[in-house]
Amino acid sequence: MIQDLVKRYPTGVEALKGVSLEMEAGEFFGLLGPNGAGKSTLIHCTTGLAQPTSGSIQVFGHDAITAYGEARQSVGLAPQELNLDWFLTVEETLDYHAGYFGMPKQERRERAKELLETFSLTAKRDERTRTLSGGMKRRLVLARALMHRPPLLILDEPTAGVDIELRLELWHYVQRINQEGTSILLTTHYLEEAEQLCDRVAFINEGEIVAQGSSPELSEKYGVANLEDAYLALMGRKELSRSHFEGLAS
Amino acid sequence: MTSAQIRFLTLSRREVSRFMKIKKQTIGAPLLETFLYISVFGAALGSRIDKLHGIDYVVFVIPGLIMMAWAINAFSNNSSSILQQKFQGAIQDQLSSPASPLELLVAFSLGGFMRGLLVSILTFIAASFLVDLPVEHIPVLIPALFLVGWFFAQLGVLIGVRAEQFDDVAIAQTFILQPLIFLGGVFYSAALLPEPFETLTKFNPVYYMIGLVRYGFLGYSESSVPIALLLLTIATAALFANNLRLFNRGYKLRA
Repeated sequence: MIQDLVKRYPTGVEALKGVSLEMEAGEFFGLLGPNGAGKSTLIHCTTGLAQPTSGSIQVFGHDAITAYGEARQSVGLAPQELNLDWFLTVEETLDYHAGYFGMPKQERRERAKELLETFSLTAKRDERTRTLSGGMKRRLVLARALMHRPPLLILDEPTAGVDIELRLELWHYVQRINQEGTSILLTTHYLEEAEQLCDRVAFINEGEIVAQGSSPELSEKYGVANLEDAYLALMGRKELSRSHFEGLAS
Repeated sequence: MTSAQIRFLTLSRREVSRFMKIKKQTIGAPLLETFLYISVFGAALGSRIDKLHGIDYVVFVIPGLIMMAWAINAFSNNSSSILQQKFQGAIQDQLSSPASPLELLVAFSLGGFMRGLLVSILTFIAASFLVDLPVEHIPVLIPALFLVGWFFAQLGVLIGVRAEQFDDVAIAQTFILQPLIFLGGVFYSAALLPEPFETLTKFNPVYYMIGLVRYGFLGYSESSVPIALLLLTIATAALFANNLRLFNRGYKLRA
């Protein structure tokens, strides 16, 4: 649960202007908005990579500032940037991450084996991360986030720049773990992705939540056919709607 | 083992395994460098230089070289490791873990400290084969070397955290650290310098560090050992406290 979250950078830029958001346990929640809207800042505040100026964040009842240990233990972050350690191999990347979260050695080994298999990385387990292709790095970042079995998985634009097969594989996997009980917070620019995967979405623009609800609720509210058109209506760019173009073509 | 112990060990293991993976560069190169110093200043030039304070020149130089190896390796390891991880963004993995600022600071510091320790021990062993190196005051030598190692490990962390590009680290090492160490009396006795250089040397904190280590090995010191030890302890504690304050604030680590 996020309440009145404000993040002002030393430059004076206010990335978040009093954001409040509530996510249910087990929910698949989408956070949508244009570049620079504040999506990553919100995620960074939740995971300790940025420090909020004011407001509060509770992760499963743990305050992300005062009880950061418990809060961060509950979160797995797959960031937008492929921020892998060049010195580590694929398997070490998973092993170290789980170690940072206090997982015992035997359990780390078993979990790493399982995730390497799941993400088709077993053959690359001893390769240094910098030798991997972009798609493999993306898989590894996701596997790393899952290593410590977090009840909340944060996916910051996980399918940006990945091919269709990997995108579908990722969709199937995250849907499965969501059904098994993992809560998921997803940011994406692909609105059909959010429409297909998320129980509810929130639109964020210029550091403020401008609308939230399920995809049908938002479509109905803005009198449009789908989430993409609802998004465009909110951003004041209705003229970009595909139905508008189809109308012009006919 | 508790989960906090596993976390701290893993954080520290990451720092140690980093330099062990590139040991030709991180252990081999500094060892070769120290060996070259001993060859040039000991074997080649040393035979033409009179004894300093009754001690063979090469023996006089070695304690300073051992201290210099620890200091430079502790500094360069930590500054490079932190900057590289910041640059790659990989440091986010540790920063978004439940690790406390204190755990992070100590683990980042330990990398350079351990590398300096390793290079110093290897230098000591190699030097012991080449010359008859006395060890006069172990109760002074061990704390002095550990304090010097920890001081420069902290300095490396500080520069690594502050740095935004690789130049920042190189500038600190080339234009501040190395002149201070070289002019602190590794290769000579400050008592032999003409004025004003003898007095100026006494404003260089490294002069007192070298003095302590030299006293530990050779039993010879130009300055007060208890005062130097006390000041070094205070300086190291102050630097550590400053780094901890920066880590608590998330300075240049957390946005």
